[in-house]
Amino acid sequence: MNPHEKSRLNQREKEQASLRQDAGQNTQSAAVEFATPEEMLRYDAAQTEVPAGLVERLQESIQKEPPRPRNWWQRLFGNL
Amino acid sequence: MSAANTETLVEPAIPESESEAPKLTRIPLEPAELAAIYEEHARPVFYLALRMLGDATQAEDATHDVFLKAYRKLGDFKGQSSIRTWLYRITINHCQNLLQSWHRRHIHGTDDEAIWERAAGPADSPLRALETKELGQRIQTTLDSLPEEYRLLLLLVADEKLSYEEIASLTNQSTDAVRGKLHRARRAFATGFNRTA
Repeated sequence: MNPHEKSRLNQREKEQASLRQDAGQNTQSAAVEFATPEEMLRYDAAQTEVPAGLVERLQESIQKEPPRPRNWWQRLFGNL
Repeated sequence: MSAANTETLVEPAIPESESEAPKLTRIPLEPAELAAIYEEHARPVFYLALRMLGDATQAEDATHDVFLKAYRKLGDFKGQSSIRTWLYRITINHCQNLLQSWHRRHIHGTDDEAIWERAAGPADSPLRALETKELGQRIQTTLDSLPEEYRLLLLLVADEKLSYEEIASLTNQSTDAVRGKLHRARRAFATGFNRTA
């Protein structure tokens, strides 16, 4: 290995060490702590999104439902 | 479920019949009303189903079915319990029915409380995790390893909108029993969660 290649290799190793250190620091800063399991579950629930297509799917299912029976007073008096 | 676990928190899953909703005068339900109910309760219902079933696709299907059942039955609902509690009851029964059929083919974790009593560590030590998707996986792994009654109890207590009385009603036992089991459930969860690290 010539001196130029050796220098480049050393430089690359330093860069990679620096990246590893940064990654470690980022991981540490992202750590979260919870006092109780329910606190953790609450946090987890807040991060959980309802699937986007579910509401449309539900609307389609409801449209296929038969008309619901009306109350006796509605049958008697209409929708007054 | 083991023989040791005689004091069950959760009743055996039963078909969701009309008897689940209070037998009251039917009132009309407009689509806008259901939309408002969905807006407020879809996330907690989906989350409960997700953590009970451990599968996002199944949880999505379950949430769909829960709200469809609610649409069919909400005309009978007049507010003897909160909407949230009522939706949770439908969700719990629906998921338990699914789990019962799955458990015939797969056995998850252990329902033997005695094992968790022996293994449980301190409940007051903080739970540390990295803020990544890994957290959800670790939570699921931990919940799956707990007895069903502990799992459900923790999930319900995590919802701040539910009172201990409502949780007791949903789990068919006294509030004192809920408090006692919650303490053990917390310890079991902490022990299980730290094992997933």
